[in-house]
Amino acid sequence: MISFIIRRLIAAVFLLIIVSMVVFGIFFILPRWGGQTTYGLATEYVGRNPTRSAVLQMIDQLGLNKPLYLQYWAYLKAIVVGGHYGTGVNSAYCPPPCFGYSFKNQQPVWPAMVSDIPVTLSLAIGAAIIWLIAGIGIGVVSALKRGSIFDRFSMTIALAGVSLPIFFTGLIALELFSYKWPIFPNVQFVPFTENPALWARNLVLPWVTLAFLYAALYARLTRAGMLETMGEDYIRTARAKGLPERTVIFKHGLRAALTPIITIFGMDLGLLLGGALLTEYTFSLHGLGLFTIEAVQNQDFPEIMGVVMLAAFFVVIANLVVDIVYAVADPRVRY
Amino acid sequence: MAVPIDVASGPGGPAPEEALSVSDKAIEGRSLSQIAWRRLRRDKVAMAGGIIIIILILIAIFGPYLVANPNTYHSELIDPTFSRPKGPWGGISLDHPFGVEPVTGRDMLARIVVGARYSLLIGFLATALAVIIGTVMGVIAGYFGGWIDSVIARLMDIFLAFPLLVFAIALVGVLPGSAFGLSGSNLRVVLLIFIIGFFAWPYMGRIIRGQTLSLREREFVDAARSLGARGPYILFRELLPNMVGPILVYATLLIPTNILFEAALDFLGVGIIPPTPSWGYMLSDAVTQGYYAVDPMYMIIPGLAIFITIMAFNLFGDGLRDAFDPKSR
Amino acid sequence: MRRKTGVLAAVGVAVTLTAAACSSGSSSSNGGNNNSNTNAVAFNAGVTGTVNASSQKGGTITFDNSSAPDSTDAGNTYYAFNLNFTRLYATPLVTYKASTGAGGDQLVPGLATALGTASDGNKTWTYHIKSGVVFEDGTPVTSQDVKYAVERTFDRSVLPNGPTYFTSLLAGNAATYPGPFKNRAKNLMGLTAITTPNPTTIVFHLKQPFASFNYVVAFPQTAPVPPAKDKGTNYQLHPLSTGPYMFQSYQLNKQYTLVPNPKWNPSWDPQVKQLPSKIVVNLNVNANDIDNRLLAGDIQVDQAGTGVQAAARAKILSNPSLKANADNPVTGFMYFFYINTKVAPLNNIHCRMAIEYAANKTDLQTAYGGPIAGNIASTAMPPTVKGYSKFDLYNALSKPGGDIAAAKQQLQQCGQPNGFNLNVAYRSDRPREVSSSQALQESLASVGIKVTLKGYTSANYYGTFAGVPNYVHSHDLGMAAGGWGPDWPDAYGWGWALYDGASIAPAGNTNIAELNDPAVNSLFLQLEAASSDSAQNSIAAQIDKKVMQDAVILPGVYYKSLLYRPTDVTNVYVQTYYGMYDFATLGLKS
Repeated sequence: MISFIIRRLIAAVFLLIIVSMVVFGIFFILPRWGGQTTYGLATEYVGRNPTRSAVLQMIDQLGLNKPLYLQYWAYLKAIVVGGHYGTGVNSAYCPPPCFGYSFKNQQPVWPAMVSDIPVTLSLAIGAAIIWLIAGIGIGVVSALKRGSIFDRFSMTIALAGVSLPIFFTGLIALELFSYKWPIFPNVQFVPFTENPALWARNLVLPWVTLAFLYAALYARLTRAGMLETMGEDYIRTARAKGLPERTVIFKHGLRAALTPIITIFGMDLGLLLGGALLTEYTFSLHGLGLFTIEAVQNQDFPEIMGVVMLAAFFVVIANLVVDIVYAVADPRVRY
Repeated sequence: MAVPIDVASGPGGPAPEEALSVSDKAIEGRSLSQIAWRRLRRDKVAMAGGIIIIILILIAIFGPYLVANPNTYHSELIDPTFSRPKGPWGGISLDHPFGVEPVTGRDMLARIVVGARYSLLIGFLATALAVIIGTVMGVIAGYFGGWIDSVIARLMDIFLAFPLLVFAIALVGVLPGSAFGLSGSNLRVVLLIFIIGFFAWPYMGRIIRGQTLSLREREFVDAARSLGARGPYILFRELLPNMVGPILVYATLLIPTNILFEAALDFLGVGIIPPTPSWGYMLSDAVTQGYYAVDPMYMIIPGLAIFITIMAFNLFGDGLRDAFDPKSR
Repeated sequence: MRRKTGVLAAVGVAVTLTAAACSSGSSSSNGGNNNSNTNAVAFNAGVTGTVNASSQKGGTITFDNSSAPDSTDAGNTYYAFNLNFTRLYATPLVTYKASTGAGGDQLVPGLATALGTASDGNKTWTYHIKSGVVFEDGTPVTSQDVKYAVERTFDRSVLPNGPTYFTSLLAGNAATYPGPFKNRAKNLMGLTAITTPNPTTIVFHLKQPFASFNYVVAFPQTAPVPPAKDKGTNYQLHPLSTGPYMFQSYQLNKQYTLVPNPKWNPSWDPQVKQLPSKIVVNLNVNANDIDNRLLAGDIQVDQAGTGVQAAARAKILSNPSLKANADNPVTGFMYFFYINTKVAPLNNIHCRMAIEYAANKTDLQTAYGGPIAGNIASTAMPPTVKGYSKFDLYNALSKPGGDIAAAKQQLQQCGQPNGFNLNVAYRSDRPREVSSSQALQESLASVGIKVTLKGYTSANYYGTFAGVPNYVHSHDLGMAAGGWGPDWPDAYGWGWALYDGASIAPAGNTNIAELNDPAVNSLFLQLEAASSDSAQNSIAAQIDKKVMQDAVILPGVYYKSLLYRPTDVTNVYVQTYYGMYDFATLGLKS
């Protein structure tokens, strides 16, 4: 077991390194394909209104004229050791882990990202809990009561849920429940440590909007999975053995049906942690998603790279956790 | 010769006589596709979805020739103080059955129809790309196994590790306005197709790999091998035809995801470039500029268009999946 | 240099910055104190006078901004709203009068005892600093602190954002001075063009006569900075205050909070007030959210100051009680398109004139927001600039739908009777530019000019694309969308950066049309050498006419914004120069 975990961990680290290489390469190579010069690239890193000497200085500082692998090495080194940017009174020390220094915003990338993580975390995990309970619950009930009014109704709603764009539902929710009828006025993120009640209240609308989409998806998946497993022979056997229905459903039916759902959940949660872009954008929540959008708006390369790396990290970690949970839960998985 | 489906006992499967004749050509069993098609035809909801899809495709292909110019301004139809259409319901009239856009007075019907073309084009082509790459990779990985499988599986992991939306936005933002000989909207369309297709293939890949794994142990593969068939023949003549079902099903379910994804990119402003109409962009305009408050139709119509399209694909895809898999009803 | 326009945080939101507003309101001049005209609550009451005049103290005023200031360091900012806001904690030598109407364009003393004394033919300017001025920590302010504040702006790698007038106007070693950050021992106080004979006197030595120098000094770059406490780019996290408020906290790009500065003395800047007990600024908030919160009374001010979006506009204009709380001031800002003079076939003046005639000005106006957003423009300078004269060379006012016949005639003359291909650059995250570019495309199509739209993000627009002449030439960008507000309210402050040949720069270029007309260039020189107001005004009118004759700008609208003032905010009025509510006089009614 332990060796399995260690092997997967090593694989995950390896994966992250490869992803970082690809991201790094793309952000340096792609603009050149499009005809961007080193000078032009450097202007992306300098503050606004750059003078020629400032740009040349930046080229030196960032080593933009050096070969790609040297630049990548410098980037990796900075993550572990930190980096110095600027000179004299204006020098900035970027402590490890240093994912670069955003000159447009005049702050290191890492602290800026980290301060946004609680928002995305609150949003993603809160919504995840809601959609897991709602989605799986509804899916199970629908599967058990197949063909009933409940089943048809909930599946229709679920279908609608996966067919509506989230920015659409989010906006309708805002317009109705925040502006028109001030049930949730002034939706602004309040840190949990500051005021838990307000934190929760202001997140209800984003939670519900996000969860609606995923709950619909999971309800459909759970229902399909349940239908499949409940039709299996071993279920009949379990019933024949006289096990209570509840045990049959949950211990045998649901458990098997959940397998693909866990995989998908890991994937979804990992992606969400990288920033629920559309939801954060609609509700003005300053999480990693909005951070990404602003970084792209500002063409702030260090920030764009940093957030892509962080998002990839979450995805890889989430998949790793799912793999381990599988190994523990499903005896068929060989390790 | 195609293999009859794996039949679980129960109504709806082929009659027992058909299942028994594997190699007897005199009593020809129905092929998988034929059986699936019959079942699909009986599923009214799925057929409704399918018909809607066909209508949408027809609209996308022929519609732009039948409607007005989507870029012509009609400022006389706009109330300049509020920048909104003069008539109620967003300016619906005989000339403009879907009303007009705020500020510009452009015909909404024309813009929706032309927008359909882009949405469907990107949705289909991106999915096609993902399906092609995914199927090829999945089949190779599943069939050959061993280190080839490991490499491809790791490759899929890498691709899956990329946060797609984040990455797509970043990429589109990084690339300049014209490259590779294309520019403007055309470049964007190609770019979007590639980005979406390129990162969606692992989803197909995993499924196909799983299917290949389970199919390659079957007797018909042994049979073919014993007859002297080699790898490529088995891959293309035996395995692939049996996977048409799942491929079709998941492709149909992938299309709406890609359409929504493209709409999201448009919404965030990194998709199609104006003045080319696109549903996601119209929604974004309505939402962020606040036009929805003065002209709700400007938000409802593109929203409905997206909704109906996605719904239709989902319904049809569901029906398709039910038709190919007798166990789910 | 151009007045920079705001950078957007949320996609699709236009934040444009404005300068002088002008309306014929009465102006008061009682010892530099506030506008004594008080008006009852009504539509446009804030344009002609002060609404809710009160000296009540206390309360928290909340500002929301859909983006963020380019920097909170007063020496490193160029956004109009920030020039307005920084007066709360950074007092420059001279400042604008707290008044509506023409009075709001007048300069009055800030930290200086009086407006500068000119000598040596307007080449030397002397200011005396008021006595007893201290920073928030009690350290006395000396003329050396003011000199240092200007010096530090010379290092553009540390402080890249502010205006560059000092660099281009000062004599001595200004052309090569690297700023006090590099090689500090040698360069600290090393700017020879500024001398400080005693702790309360500061003298500026200019390269050439410059009658408008007081306007340059009005920029917050002259707010004192103590050399010992400067932190370069990090100074913005807590600049030491000489104004009524000081920094309490700052989360970069999220929020900053100001509290009253106990050391402040109202005599240092009579134009500002110290009323609220706390000022909170929230950054990067969704623009529609801001409008809704404003209307609901959850916040007091939109810091960007450019007015409400379409949804709120409709609500306000259709609801009389909401409309009474709104103002529709002229902002002194213009929207227009630059027409390049080097990209073929626009190098032929008649092709440019064809565009001037053909464009549908009404459609453009609707794209910018309709009549509420301003009148159709026909000149190269807005009516708020001193010396403005009204004329209409291309029938923009008489034939606002476009003069197709005249356009076709011009096309004949320039040898392109069937039209030509044209690329138009615009900022894809500015909805007004998105709409207006498409409107332009449609109207030019009617004379055969085929427009291809090229969108760029505003973050790079001036630095990498439209503002780089090489890029413009290699990509054939014949026209570029733009907006502009004057650095100060005369023709030089408006037009030098746009139309003078000397302002063409290889990057960050503001003279995007690349106009280099010797007649115009010499008129600008004459403008600054002119001795009387009337002489200046007549030269200004000549500049305007000549630029329009050169057909290098397709005017759009003289922009007006729709502002909303919640009922609990006191001392609200539209300050003419900033073109928005004066942020430094606001208070809260309990």
